[in-house]
Amino acid sequence: MVRKISQEEFKDVLASKVALVDFSAVWCGPCKMVAPVIEALSDELDGQVDFFNVDVDDCPEIAAEYAIMSIPALILFKDGKSVDMKVGFRPQAELAAWIKGELN
Amino acid sequence: MARYDIAIIGTGPAGVSAAITSVIRNKSVLLLGSADLSAKLKKAHEIRNYPGFAAVSGETLGAAFAEHLSSMGIEITEDKITSVYAMGDYFALQASSGLMYEAAAVILATGVIAGKPLEGEEELLGRGVSYCATCDAPLYRGKEVTVIGYSPKEEKEAAFLSEVTAKVTYIPMYKEEPQLPGSVVIVKDRAMGIGIQDGRRVVKTAGEPIVTDGVFVLRESVSAGQLVPGLATDGTHVLVDLQMKTNIEGCFACGDIAGRPYQYVKAAGQGNVAALSAVDYLDAKKRN
Repeated sequence: MVRKISQEEFKDVLASKVALVDFSAVWCGPCKMVAPVIEALSDELDGQVDFFNVDVDDCPEIAAEYAIMSIPALILFKDGKSVDMKVGFRPQAELAAWIKGELN
Repeated sequence: MARYDIAIIGTGPAGVSAAITSVIRNKSVLLLGSADLSAKLKKAHEIRNYPGFAAVSGETLGAAFAEHLSSMGIEITEDKITSVYAMGDYFALQASSGLMYEAAAVILATGVIAGKPLEGEEELLGRGVSYCATCDAPLYRGKEVTVIGYSPKEEKEAAFLSEVTAKVTYIPMYKEEPQLPGSVVIVKDRAMGIGIQDGRRVVKTAGEPIVTDGVFVLRESVSAGQLVPGLATDGTHVLVDLQMKTNIEGCFACGDIAGRPYQYVKAAGQGNVAALSAVDYLDAKKRN
């Protein structure tokens, strides 16, 4: 499951052991396309990674803090620190391989 | 919307051949591209190694392809695909018309798209470099952006950006005089590369560098890796195996985009292989 969070709830990302945050917006086509892929990925990696969605229009301060300049932007967090980022639509297999590589 | 069995992008010899074989194998086909067939094919003076034709002009071969397609009832959909999204069990094809097509398998037969990326362009993609004005413009509200446009068609994207951002600088990479709103600053110089300077982006030109917050690189044709996010390429060509499979399941490539030699007969042969592989893929999927 992907949890949509507000600016105040972003502390849950920082408290998570491993988290993937999908920065997106309602007006962005590729974001709409990647959303079901992230949803499926969250089922695949259920229990290993926490999944969050941040709307950059609702959370401008967080978007600025992580220098989001293109969306969708997928940032992987480990122990509250951003460790890597992927930008744009990505197939599920590529994202799964990327995250699994970071888990080990 | 109806989901096709196989979407084929490109109407050169590879795409035409793939469409013919797919239809023979009873698959529903969406053939996308120019209806006057390959523009490149038309330019060919004489082809001497296409079996059945001792010496044939590109134009004659193109006409024969068109006749072959129409005799089988295969229509060409004239729409430009800007993105192919691998959704898992199907592909979503975003077209410039605004339509979204769906297919269970995709065959790329686009031909080779010439043009090298600018220095720094790929490294900074998503980090201050964007290919999509409509996607990313709102992220630059109140900021300054620079547009590198490779054809006059990109001017409307620049005009759109000027409504959203604080300032737009436009670098036309073509000869025609740009028609843009008065607020857009036009710099007639050649963009050479993109870099970072004091946390901002800088467009290197033959003359004065342009310091900016974001750079939009807008080209008429995108590379295969941009067309299909996640596709493995060597920069110019899509990486395929002998079955014309790419690294993405259900996505195949054939013809010039799959590598040298750039020959009509090789393209047609690979189109046939790609179609048969796509058919195998679809049949295997149905069994599971």
